[in-house]
Amino acid sequence: MARSLSSKELRHKAREVQWEAFRRGLYRFRSNALSMIGLSSLIILVILAFAAPYIAPYPEDARGKTHVTERLLPPSGEHLFGTDKVGRDIFSRVIMGTGLALRVGIVIIFLASIIGVTIGGIAAYAGGWIDDLLMRITDIFLTVPALVLAIAITAALGKGITNVMIGISLVWWPGFARLTRSLVLSLKEEAFVEAADGIGSSHARILFRHILPNALSPIIVKMSTDFGFAVLTAAALGFIGLGAQPPTPEWGAMINDGRERFPSEWWIATFPGLAIFVMVFSWNLLGDGLRDVLDPRSRR
Amino acid sequence: MKLGSYFLRRLLLLIPLLFGLSLLTFTVSRILPGDPVGLAAGPQATEEIKESLRKEFGLDKPLPVQYLSYIGNLFRGEWGQSLYSRREVASDLKVYFPATLELTLAAILFAGIFGTLLGVVSALNRNKLPDHLARVVVLFFVSFPAFWLAMMFQLVFGLALDWFPIGKRLNILMTPPQTITGLYLLDSILTWNWKAFRMAAWHLFIPALVLSFGALASITRITRANMLEALDKDFVRMERALGMPDRVVIFKYVLRNAFIATLTIIALEFGWLMAGAVLVETIFDWPGLGLYIVESSLRLDFQPIMGITIIYGIVFSLVNIFTDMAYGLLDPRIRYG
Repeated sequence: MARSLSSKELRHKAREVQWEAFRRGLYRFRSNALSMIGLSSLIILVILAFAAPYIAPYPEDARGKTHVTERLLPPSGEHLFGTDKVGRDIFSRVIMGTGLALRVGIVIIFLASIIGVTIGGIAAYAGGWIDDLLMRITDIFLTVPALVLAIAITAALGKGITNVMIGISLVWWPGFARLTRSLVLSLKEEAFVEAADGIGSSHARILFRHILPNALSPIIVKMSTDFGFAVLTAAALGFIGLGAQPPTPEWGAMINDGRERFPSEWWIATFPGLAIFVMVFSWNLLGDGLRDVLDPRSRR
Repeated sequence: MKLGSYFLRRLLLLIPLLFGLSLLTFTVSRILPGDPVGLAAGPQATEEIKESLRKEFGLDKPLPVQYLSYIGNLFRGEWGQSLYSRREVASDLKVYFPATLELTLAAILFAGIFGTLLGVVSALNRNKLPDHLARVVVLFFVSFPAFWLAMMFQLVFGLALDWFPIGKRLNILMTPPQTITGLYLLDSILTWNWKAFRMAAWHLFIPALVLSFGALASITRITRANMLEALDKDFVRMERALGMPDRVVIFKYVLRNAFIATLTIIALEFGWLMAGAVLVETIFDWPGLGLYIVESSLRLDFQPIMGITIIYGIVFSLVNIFTDMAYGLLDPRIRYG
């Protein structure tokens, strides 16, 4: 008769398998040059965000200090990206805006995924009329493109960067809800769920401890691929004028600021736009690589 | 017949969805902490003027009553009045909607053609240089803020090279073609007005191109993945064994199989692009829903915002229904149940 494994040995075995899977994934990720570029660039951006006050030549310009005598100067050694209409150094403001852009993306993605995963998970696990109700609500949010609904909600809440984050999160969760629902629907038929149910685990425990952790990879992929678009959407609202109010160095608002003087003073709008691009492109490269690693079917 | 009843059922399912949407937009418009009446009345308005404005727009009644009368009016085609311009929202929408539709249609056409081509090229050169290049290029373009890219294109092609106009749908001096659909290109074809057609196409090209970039990445990715899957099928080996030319195998059989998934993405992206049009319109001074919603949202003018949101909801849902119906034409295996 085969010796059955003790629970301690089982746990050890499970950890070994997980570790092996992680190492393989890491190998695939590292052998993907593009996602490594994305990751490195993001690490640099994070460092930049923290070091901004020490790197920026005129950090006080991001807090609203103006220099009337240095208005609208083109890029030079003194002002790498030139100055805006009240004489603020654009290079300093772009650097000081990095942290804000990252923060906005993180808040939106976390709020949206928490709402979406909870709603999608409960819908799939409970089934029946709860599923129907929650999914119809999700559908309502999906009938209107995210940007349009985000504009409407943010306008109602009032201008400001916090309301932009709330507004975008409120329209971003349905994607996560749909994804989580489909994942949980297939996972809840698995034997380990039956086992957990058999030994009397509560529904909440089964859903949050046993099912959702197994659904994590696709959700993480979605978080990373969505991050760039969340940053873009926030910048769009800033550009429209619903976002951060002056003198906050928000990139979208800075482009809006430079629009009236475009193209004669092209630098005011151009450099914040490039900054948005660098951040979004890095996330998209990273997300693309993560998708290959965690969802092997997507790339062959 | 079968298709007709399927279409009808889908349309009926749309009704509760749009009810939900109207409830959502109504809720949003009534939780606003801002003071739209105060904004519309101006800073010098007295309390009495504001009060009469509130009465005029029905803002003094209880919320459920306001909602019911809002819904009733929607069905009668009365979509409310702008607090700011005092114009009817419905008639404004009639003017602005075709402009956005034309821009979005042109953009999705560009994105569909380029995205599918790039996807086919990637799949045929899997993991070779063209595949990697296509991947980087589409990720590159999708990462730019659309409004910023629009400004750059305006600068390069409109001002520096002077190849294209920098905005609007036509020259200011030109009279638009007789309005039939509101889509200038279509109207000018219908009225044999080739001068207007050329002008409208010339104005449309750059905005539509900029807008199309946003949809390139996902169309390319899906086409590539499904081409690879279809290329693996037995029928492909069979056709090749029979000596069918590669061109026929790929474009007639493989692509047709892969295109069903591409079509789904194109429909989804249509909604995204129509939303992205908000930003592109702002730059190119394109008189569509985008300019309208931006101006209204900055003025807290809620009737137009609600109207625009509902229009977007209707169009997006209809596009999805039409896509599902198009599957059957492309893939005879699909039956509507």
